[in-house]
Order: sequence, then structure tokens, then C-alpha cells
Amino acid sequence: MVLKLYVDRLSQPSRAVLIFCKANGIEFDEVLVDVAKGQQRSPEYAEINPMKNVPAIVDGRFKLFESHAILVYLACAFPGVAEHWYPADLSRRAKIDSVLHWHHSNLRAGAAPYVFNARLAPIFGLPLNPRVAARAEKLLSGSLAKIESIWLKGKGRFLVGSSQPSIADLSLVCEIMQLELLDKEDRNRLLGPHKKVQQWIEDTRHATRPYFDEMHNILFKVKEKLARMPAEGATSKTLAGNKKQILSKM
Amino acid sequence: MKLQIYSNRLSQPCRAVIIFCKLNGIEFEEIDVSLAKGQQFKAEFKAINPMARVPAIVHGSYKLFESHAILIYLACTFPGVPDHWYPADIQQRAKIHSVLDWHHSNLRLGEAGYVLDSRLRPLLGGKLNLEAAAVNEKLLSKSLAKIETFWLRGDGKFLLGNFQPSIADLSLVCEIMQLEIVPEIDRNRILSPHKKVLQWMEDTKNATNPYFDELHSFILELKAVLKADSSVGVTEETKQRSQAVLSKL
Repeated sequence: MVLKLYVDRLSQPSRAVLIFCKANGIEFDEVLVDVAKGQQRSPEYAEINPMKNVPAIVDGRFKLFESHAILVYLACAFPGVAEHWYPADLSRRAKIDSVLHWHHSNLRAGAAPYVFNARLAPIFGLPLNPRVAARAEKLLSGSLAKIESIWLKGKGRFLVGSSQPSIADLSLVCEIMQLELLDKEDRNRLLGPHKKVQQWIEDTRHATRPYFDEMHNILFKVKEKLARMPAEGATSKTLAGNKKQILSKM
Repeated sequence: MKLQIYSNRLSQPCRAVIIFCKLNGIEFEEIDVSLAKGQQFKAEFKAINPMARVPAIVHGSYKLFESHAILIYLACTFPGVPDHWYPADIQQRAKIHSVLDWHHSNLRLGEAGYVLDSRLRPLLGGKLNLEAAAVNEKLLSKSLAKIETFWLRGDGKFLLGNFQPSIADLSLVCEIMQLEIVPEIDRNRILSPHKKVLQWMEDTKNATNPYFDELHSFILELKAVLKADSSVGVTEETKQRSQAVLSKL
């Protein structure tokens, strides 16, 4: 029975899992769970993942969710996955683990709500929330600065000084790619100060071509769709009418 | 090779790491980083962990931070750690990873935020934020419900239906113990609906005592200091007395 990936390419962690499988020749069935249509909340999907988010996998009878857990599982379970993705050496592995854990409360917690509340929400039929976006932006900027000055320190071109990419690089770069949905001005304001980060994104894309671009194509389509929608700005009506937005993890 | 743990017992993840080491006979030197005095932001500590957070370890010349990464590293590196803490089987291991990952944006975010915003921040130099505390309480309650109805499903007493505790149990239970700091009426409101959770906390405590109680003993003293203060923020006197408790840590 072939591995099933329950994903939406609009979801950053979904893309990381998809790219990883393609880059390592892991065969799979891609099952779309359309998050903009709320399919993750269906009772059928709750059987796959009761947390109602993507990605999730089913490998035979084994179900798993949380993209980092999935990436580690796939790296260990499938033969032929190159060692650099999740090294056997405990010291190197622990460094990668530390990035993966840091990510949740830092880059992910900043980038995802920022892009959602500054740009993406209308795709989900929701209003933008500039106040939430502004708060998230602070965390996003701080996280990018930490990647620039701490995580990308060292001889190699990848995180934690590695000369080849790991699952941490894939996870974090897919997260940052969500910024492609923003206007060029916003994206440049956020990424412009960080030259190492920009180079690292390129290096990760290069290391996983052509799958990286293939999986990120959706962002350009969504960007076009957003451009065609009626303007959703920060009007006082929007702010006053908003209930507190809780971003469901995609 | 010497193991040093840079820690503060006020920090939930620090407690998990220290309990794990004590239980598994892993020798270490505990180096206190005073959060009340902002020691984590000083250059000396940032040389250990540039993220300015506890816990962090130094093992020989190797440095590591993020408690989950540390727990995994210790479980794998030190001989004699029983398999149930971090099973070799990759599917069992993957399930534990999924809890550890879920934790960050759910229980940890809700719990830590709630306790800080409703009680603890003034002791660490910040201000209470009751509006944020209310938001965090919702996430905390939602997370506890998920543990009650999903993560504790199965035949065993521990997370994922396991018969013995893993590093995930230790990490999450230490987190929930932070609720001991808030007034009892609030703690009861939040925890009492979740009978399985309460039982699981007892089971985890029993599986890791006497170290569990030892690491959580300061909370009683801190709570007594806070209880004596009926103000919404904290008085200067309370701050001083709390700092005295925390400085001992």
C-alpha cells in the first residue's frame, strides 16, 4: 500500500513534506485537503487527523501528523534517503532537532499569522487583521534576524553550519516562501536586511530542484487570485467588525 | 565528559530535563540562571545559548538548547536509559515526536502565557495582561481537552496509550504543574473538568518521584508568598519576597 500524504500545497509544512518525498524518490499518493474550503474540518478527515490540520500521512495502518514528526519518520523509514537530511550522528541530529523545535514558537509563530492576517485571509473568506499582523511581524522579523546571525553561522551554506541541507532547512525555507504572497515592497522590507537568509533560500531551492519550484507554484496562482479580489484593506469597519481571529494551523 | 545544565527551576522545560537526568542516574552540574535577575540576557550566558533561554546544556565542548532536543540527546547518548523514555521503534518514536511538536503551539503556548500574564510576569520584570491571559486560558483549556480526549486515549496510563512514561509525558506534565502558581480557584476551574489529565499527572509524578516532588517543591513557597498578596498586580513587598524565593533556585 502506497504512502498517502494528506496535504494542501498552500500549507507551508505540507510543501516541505511533498518536496522531501519527491527529492528522495519516495512514492506517494497526494490527497488534497483543501484548507480554503475547510475540508480539514470534515468528519472524514478527522479520522485521519483529529487535530484537523495538514499535513498528515497514512503509511499502511500507521497514521501520523505534525510535519516535523513526519519528516523524521520518512527520513528513517525509507531506504535511500541521503543521510544529510537527518544525520545518524547524535550531535548533529540534536542540532537539527533544536532548530525544528525553535521554529514552532519563532519563525512559524511569526510568519504564518503575519501572511494570513496581512494578505491571505480573503482566500478563506475572512477579513484581514492588521493589528494581529503587526504583532506577528515583530516576531517574524526577530526570527529572521536570528536565522541570519545564529542559525546560519558556520562554514556551510545551510542551517547549523551544515554543508548540505537537512529537514530543518526544508521546513524553515518553505515557511519563509509564504512571504511570496506579499507585495514586493513588504517582502523586501522583511527579507532585504538578511543577505545570508536570501542566499540560503536560493541554496535550498537549488538543492531540491525541480520539486521546490513545482510545489511552490501554487503561491503565484493564489497571489493572482488575491489581486483579482476586491480590495481588502485596513478600514475602520474591518477593525471594528473583527472578532478575535484565531488562525487555525494549516 | 562533564555535563552542565544551565537551568532555573521556575522554568517548566528545565524541570523536565533535570528530573530526567536524576531519574536516569545521569550525573550533571546544575548551574542556576536567575530569570528574576535577567541573567539569561547577559553576555556570559548568551555565549552558552545565544537565544537567551533556559534550559541549555554543555556536554564536554558540545552546546545544545531547546528542551525537547536536549531530552532526546540525553536519552540517546547516555547508556542505561530505559527504552520507554524514547523508544527505538521508529513508529513509536514518531508518535512521541508528534506530541512534542504539538506541545509548542498548544499546551505550552496557552499554559505559559496564561500563568505569565495572570500571575508571574511582574516577578520577572514585566506587567500583568489580563486580556492576554483570558485568550491564553482558552488555548490552555482547549489543549487540556485534546490531551483528555485524544492524547490519553488507549490502554496505558500515559500519553499515546503507552504503559510507561516517555519524555513527552515528562515535558507536558511539568508544563501543567506551572498552574500550581496561580490561585487554587483558577487552577481548579481549569483542571477539574479533565479527570484523565489529573490521573495522568499523578501517574507521571509517581513514575518519577522523589525527583518530581523535589523539583516542584519551590512552588509551595512561592505560592504562599503570592497568596498573601491580594492585589491584582503584585506589591513591592511581594516582588521582593518572590525574588528571594526565586533567587534561591
